[in-house]
Amino acid sequence: MMSNLNEGRRDTIKALLAISATGALTACKPKTRDDSKSVSGNRDLVYAAKGQFFNAKEFAFLSAVAQTIMPKTDTAGAIEAGVPETIQSLVSEWGDDSFRAYWRAGLRGVSNELEGSFAALSPAERQAKLADYDSKVFNDSIEDKFYKDMKHTIVSAYYMSEPGATEELHYDPVPGDFRGCVPFSEIGKAWAT
Amino acid sequence: MYDFDAIIVGSGMSGGWVAKELAERGLKVAVIERGRDIDPVEDYKDHVDPWDTPNLGRKTPEDIKKHPIQSEVYAYNQNTKQYWVDDNEHPYITPEGQDYKWRRGYHKGGRSLMWGRQTYRLSEIDFEANKKENIGVDWPVRYKDIAPWYDHVERFAGISGSSEGLEILPDSVFQPAHELTCAEDVFKEKVESSFPGRKVIPGRVAHLTQPTEEQMELGRGKCQSRALCERGCIFGAYFSSVSATLPAAERTGNMTMITNVAVHKLEYDHEKNRISGVQTVDVKTKATKTYTARMVFLNAGTIPSTMILLNSANAHFPNGLANSSGQLGKNLMDHVGCASAGGTMPGMMDKYHVGRRPNGFYIPRFRNHTEEGQDFVRGYGYQGRIYRYGNQNVNSPGVGEEYKMTGRKPGPWSYSIIAFAEILPDERNRITLHSSKKDKWGLPVPIIDAKMRENEIKLIKQATKDGIEMMKAAGIVNPRHDNPENPHIPAHGNGIHEMGTARMGRDPNTSVLNGFNQSWDIPNLFISDGSFMTSGGCQNPSLTYMAFSARAADHAAKLLKDGVI
Repeated sequence: MMSNLNEGRRDTIKALLAISATGALTACKPKTRDDSKSVSGNRDLVYAAKGQFFNAKEFAFLSAVAQTIMPKTDTAGAIEAGVPETIQSLVSEWGDDSFRAYWRAGLRGVSNELEGSFAALSPAERQAKLADYDSKVFNDSIEDKFYKDMKHTIVSAYYMSEPGATEELHYDPVPGDFRGCVPFSEIGKAWAT
Repeated sequence: MYDFDAIIVGSGMSGGWVAKELAERGLKVAVIERGRDIDPVEDYKDHVDPWDTPNLGRKTPEDIKKHPIQSEVYAYNQNTKQYWVDDNEHPYITPEGQDYKWRRGYHKGGRSLMWGRQTYRLSEIDFEANKKENIGVDWPVRYKDIAPWYDHVERFAGISGSSEGLEILPDSVFQPAHELTCAEDVFKEKVESSFPGRKVIPGRVAHLTQPTEEQMELGRGKCQSRALCERGCIFGAYFSSVSATLPAAERTGNMTMITNVAVHKLEYDHEKNRISGVQTVDVKTKATKTYTARMVFLNAGTIPSTMILLNSANAHFPNGLANSSGQLGKNLMDHVGCASAGGTMPGMMDKYHVGRRPNGFYIPRFRNHTEEGQDFVRGYGYQGRIYRYGNQNVNSPGVGEEYKMTGRKPGPWSYSIIAFAEILPDERNRITLHSSKKDKWGLPVPIIDAKMRENEIKLIKQATKDGIEMMKAAGIVNPRHDNPENPHIPAHGNGIHEMGTARMGRDPNTSVLNGFNQSWDIPNLFISDGSFMTSGGCQNPSLTYMAFSARAADHAAKLLKDGVI
């Protein structure tokens, strides 16, 4: 009775873990905007209903910024981790119109500050340009609350993503016994949660 | 002639215990639960990984619309929101300019599914306090009366903790304690050497760290240190009605579980002086039905149990059923979570922890015990932790590879703490029913009138001061804390420990229940949710509800067998 029950529970957990892994893969597939359909009524709301509030240009800019902040190294970068899609869905489906307006205006603001077509630059140029802007925002010579918020969102979304949690950081869904004091070298990286 | 031997109203922390104890004594019991059934495999969200959590875990505008009160709770998130009530369907009223935070979930298991799991015994000091200080009424029990029942419920529930031999916080029957972290060990050493009357001990929680045969037979397993508890735990590693007491009641074959049915009124037979029926409403169809039983246990939660009795007023009990004392609905208590503070414990950057401990450290009460209280009675305990958190770079300057690498390091040892202070029984803190407003099922809406008073505010101020001194002594840097002269005073209810509105006592004229949780007025009526509490202590109260529920059920079963009721 007892071992049956425990076995049943283990199987359930395995099955659930398998399902959630599949779910994550599906969620990582980039959504593409269907431009062929004519848009009527409130343009923003229509985009939102389709889960695609950011237009192609905004999405490319967001992706370029995210990848510059969290580039691909020996682990996934923000794009490989699906961060732009996650934010697309957050803004389109989770947020309300004022949240969408805030992101649109915010992205435009940052884009203007960076001047020119940021997304078209080489990774090294993007790095130099964004590092400069980032340092000005963080040393308060430029006030841009949106940028800080966007960065927070990008980096948090990265660490919550499957590659961010499991490759960049350590993720253990079922740790077992808690140990309160071990050498850091035994772990080597921060826990994802 | 009766539908059941006993009807238990509510399946949460205390109702589950009554069901188990009565069913195991051979009584045919019905548990009437106003919420839905819970199926662990379907309903628990403890398998959801961070990347499958919607909206980066953010609350949606719909969440806030549906749960304006519930969504403020620490345990409310995208993987737990299914357990909290729709505030629009369950209204209550507070007096103008005054707040009350009523946090709750209606489903099988009630708040035992989402509770904080901290489990502490009351001590003789707590049971004697009202009498010594002439506050409220005297408890009709002393520690020695309830100690064996604490043992009884702890053996079954499973409590992790360390034996400390403290008079203020008696030891439980323990399974191994969760380890303290390196930084907490340092904190403990520094606090205990600077303040000889204070102790820093591992928190005591209802988690299995060394499950017994009995616990494993019920399908419960060892705590896996995931800290996803409020989502429900498929391992059954923390105590809940769903993981423990209800399955135990179920396997006797003596329990009937009735879900989605709300109790509105108890029927009273004046000639026989008995509860003769339980009037219910199906929450989905609004169909009404009356169930009968030889006795009734109210375990709906402090406020709902009081509402049912107030709503059952009749010619013989014009102020509420079983309320000849006039105390029903009065003396509403809670614990006040206050003096929260934080900072950093420097050093030990070469040390880390493994697993996510669903627990922390505990500092038992020392005021008015090992150290004097200046001009107040009672005291407070603290709960805290010192932990290294990740995501340290989300608010830091930098972009690119070097910046990304900084996120691989955990942050420094981060200290956080909160005090839980006792709230005195006070007749002015009370629940009444509105004369005309009703919920969608026709039950009058409660008016909850409670606020922090003089003694509580003094406790909050002193807890803030003591907390600051302990941070200093322990060498915590970058401290954040309240101003002790003008601290944050939380609204009543935030402790989520409603208690006291049907207090037990020694005199029928001043209390609702006798020392066995039995109504003085109506012998076949028992109440063993938090409403029986004569005083609250500063300890998390669920363990005390469990022990008194088991004891009351044992007593009631004997009375029934002896033909007394």
